[in-house]
Amino acid sequence: MLFHSPVRLLAAATLCLAATPQSIELEGGVFRVSGWAAPPTPPARGWAQIFAVYAGSGSIPPMLGSYAVDKGFLVFRPAFPLAAGMRYRAVFHPPVGPAIERIFDGPLKQTTPATRVESVYPSGALLPSNLLRLYIYFSAPMTQGEAFRCMHLVDEKGKDLQGVFLPGEELWDPKWKRLTMTFDPGRLKRGLTANIAMGPPIVEGRHYTLVIDRMWPDAHGLPLMESYRRSFRGGPAQRTKPDPAEWRVDTPVGGTSTALSVTFPEPMNYVLLKRMIEIVRDAHVVAGSVAIDYDERRWLFTPRDRWKPGDYRLVIDTALEDVAGNSIAHAFDIDVFEEVTEHLKATKTSLPFVVK
Amino acid sequence: MNRRILGVLFVLTLVALAFAVADTTKPANLTASLSPGRVELKSAGALGFGPDGILFVGDSIGGAVVELDTNDRTEARPSDLHVEDIDAKIAAMAGVAPDQIAINDVKVNPLSKNVYLSATRGRGPDAQPMIVRVSAGGEVANVSLDNIKHASVNLTDTPAPNPGARQDPRMMTITDMAYVSGNLMVAGLSNEEWSSALRSIPVPFKSAEKGATLQIWHSSHGRYETQSPVRTFVPYTIEGQAYVLAAYTCTPLVKIPVNMLKPGEKVTGVTIADLGAGNQPLDMVPYKKDGHNYILIANSSRGLVKLRADGVASAAAIDSPTKVDGPAGVPYDKLDLKNVQQLAAFDAGHAVVLIGQAGPGPSFNPGRPQGPLKLQTIALP
Repeated sequence: MLFHSPVRLLAAATLCLAATPQSIELEGGVFRVSGWAAPPTPPARGWAQIFAVYAGSGSIPPMLGSYAVDKGFLVFRPAFPLAAGMRYRAVFHPPVGPAIERIFDGPLKQTTPATRVESVYPSGALLPSNLLRLYIYFSAPMTQGEAFRCMHLVDEKGKDLQGVFLPGEELWDPKWKRLTMTFDPGRLKRGLTANIAMGPPIVEGRHYTLVIDRMWPDAHGLPLMESYRRSFRGGPAQRTKPDPAEWRVDTPVGGTSTALSVTFPEPMNYVLLKRMIEIVRDAHVVAGSVAIDYDERRWLFTPRDRWKPGDYRLVIDTALEDVAGNSIAHAFDIDVFEEVTEHLKATKTSLPFVVK
Repeated sequence: MNRRILGVLFVLTLVALAFAVADTTKPANLTASLSPGRVELKSAGALGFGPDGILFVGDSIGGAVVELDTNDRTEARPSDLHVEDIDAKIAAMAGVAPDQIAINDVKVNPLSKNVYLSATRGRGPDAQPMIVRVSAGGEVANVSLDNIKHASVNLTDTPAPNPGARQDPRMMTITDMAYVSGNLMVAGLSNEEWSSALRSIPVPFKSAEKGATLQIWHSSHGRYETQSPVRTFVPYTIEGQAYVLAAYTCTPLVKIPVNMLKPGEKVTGVTIADLGAGNQPLDMVPYKKDGHNYILIANSSRGLVKLRADGVASAAAIDSPTKVDGPAGVPYDKLDLKNVQQLAAFDAGHAVVLIGQAGPGPSFNPGRPQGPLKLQTIALP
C-alpha cells in the first residue's frame, strides 16, 4: 500500500536513483542506461540527443541503431554487431548532472593465423601461353582487394612480372574462399594493341612461379600460415574449341559402381568441368559424384546406384571451356580468315554410350 | 502585343510547363508498382538511377538487382559538395574502423543531386551492405532498408541452392548498370565462365522477368573476333543517335547504337579508342561544354582522362593499333587528378569524384587504394 500514490511512486523512483548510481552497461551487444528511470516517450529530438554510442573518438557521427525503453531502462541496439578489436564510447546526458561516459571493448580479435592456400587450378606443370584464368582456393574466407599486392607471377630470373592480370578485378565466390584471377585479356586476344606489342603474359618454353605472400590478410585480418609457390612452364597456345568427338569415354560394366571416365586431349577448366557434364538415361539425370584428376584431363563419375545396362548420354553444356577460354560453342578469339564463324545455337551437346 | 495574344501565350506557356514537369517527373508509374517492406540485400555494389528518384542496387552475392523508391524527388541545384573523410564517417556509423569500409559505387540522384553510395561494412564473408546518402550540405545518412518501397529481379538462372548443400560458388559480379530507354542494362563478370552477357531488364521490374541477354562481341584488326564482357558503359546521345559507349574488360572503348541492342542478337561494338594495356576504365561521364562533346573517364591506372567526343558518331573503327603505352583512336587529354576511385555525373557542369590515397605497394602494383577518402564535386574540364 506504501507506493500507491503518484507522490509515493516518485519517491520510490528517487530512492532507486539514490540506491543505484547512474551507469551504462553492455550486455549481449546491447547498451543500457542503468540507475535512471527512462520516461516512456523520447525527448523532442529523439533518444540520440541524450544517449549515443560512438565507434572512436573525435567529431564522428554516432553509431546507427535503435532505441527502446525496456522495463524502465533506456537501451540502444546497434544496427550492426560489435566488431572485434574495436573500442566503443557510450555517452549518456542525464536531465540533471554531468554526462556519463563509459568505454567498452568489442569482442576479442583472433590472433593465431590459421588460413592457407589449399590449391590452385589449373594444376598442370605445363600451361598454355594463352592461359585465361587461375582459381585459387583458400582454406578460410579472405579479405578482398589484396590480390594485386600479395600475388605475383615471377619469371625464371626472379623478376616480378608487371601487367599480367586484369587490373582491379578480383572475382570471389560468395564465401570469399575462392578467387578467380583473369590474365589481362588485352594481351591474350590477338590483334589488340597490348597483344601485338607485349605478347601474352606467358611465353612458351619459359619457366614461371606463382607466388602468394604470407602477408595476405584473411577475413580476420590475420596473415596466412605460410606463403605459397607453384612453378610451371609455358606451353603452346590452345586456340581450338574443345571437340567432344575427340574425348575418350571408358564405360563401366553393368551391375558395378565403377566410375565412368572421360579423358580429354587437353586440360579443361576445373570449375566448369565440375558442373557442366551430366549423365542422362531415359531423360533422367543419373545421380552420383564427380571427381577430376590428371591435371584436369580426366572426368570421373561414380554413380550413387549401380550401373544398369542400357543406353546413356553424356550431356555437355557448350559453355564448357578449356583453360584458355575456348568453349565448345566457340574459340576465345576466332580468326575469321581461317575459321568459319559459325556460332553454335544449341546450349547442350551430347555423346551417347552404352553400359553392357 | 495585345492582351488576347498575351493571354494565349500565357496559356501556351502553362501547357509547355505542364509537359516539361510531366517529362521530368514521369510520374508515379514507375514507383506505383513497388511494394513497401524490408529489403534483404546480401551485398550492395553497382548503383544506377532511373526516373522518379528510383535507385537500382546491384546485389552480386544475392544474385539480384533491387529497385528502390528513395522518395527523394525534390529538385535541387546545389553548387558543390565537399566531404572529407567520408570513409571514417560511414565507419563510425557502422561501428568499425575506417579500413573496414569499402565504397563500391557512387551515383547522383538527377533530381535532388543527393549523392548515393553503396558500401560494405567489413572485409570478410560476414560483411554487410550499406546504402548511404550524402546531401548537398554534406550530411551523411544511412538509407534504411527496413521499410522501403521496392521490387527485385533475381538474375540467377539456376534454382535456389539447397540450404543443406555446399554453397554454389558461382557468382556474377555486377560491374555497371544504367537506365536506357525504359530498360535497366546490367553488365557483369562471371567468376567461372568467360562469356558474360549484357542483360536488359524492363523497368518497372516484374517478378518473373529476368530480362533478355545480349551477346556482346568485339572484333580487332578486322580479322579476329571474340565474345567480350563489358566492364562499364554509359548511354550517350550524339547527333541525334542514341548509343551505348562501352568499355570491354580487354580495354577497347566501343560504340554500340542502341537500336542494335536486340535480345538474343550477336552485337559487335565498333572500337573508337583503345586506352592501353594494364588499365581498366572504371566510370564514364559524357558532357557538353562550349559547344563540344566530351567524355570524362576514370581509369584504374591511367587516372582521369577527357576524351574529345565530337567525332564519336562518325569515328571509324580502329583497326591498326600501333602504340602500347599511349592512346589510340579518338583523342584524349590526361587530367591532373590522381587516385580517383569513383566518378559520376553531378549536373551539366560538374561531376562528383571519390578520391583516395594510392595503395601501399609499388606504382605498378599499388594494392587496394587507401583512405582517407574524400567525396567532392569537380567542374567538368
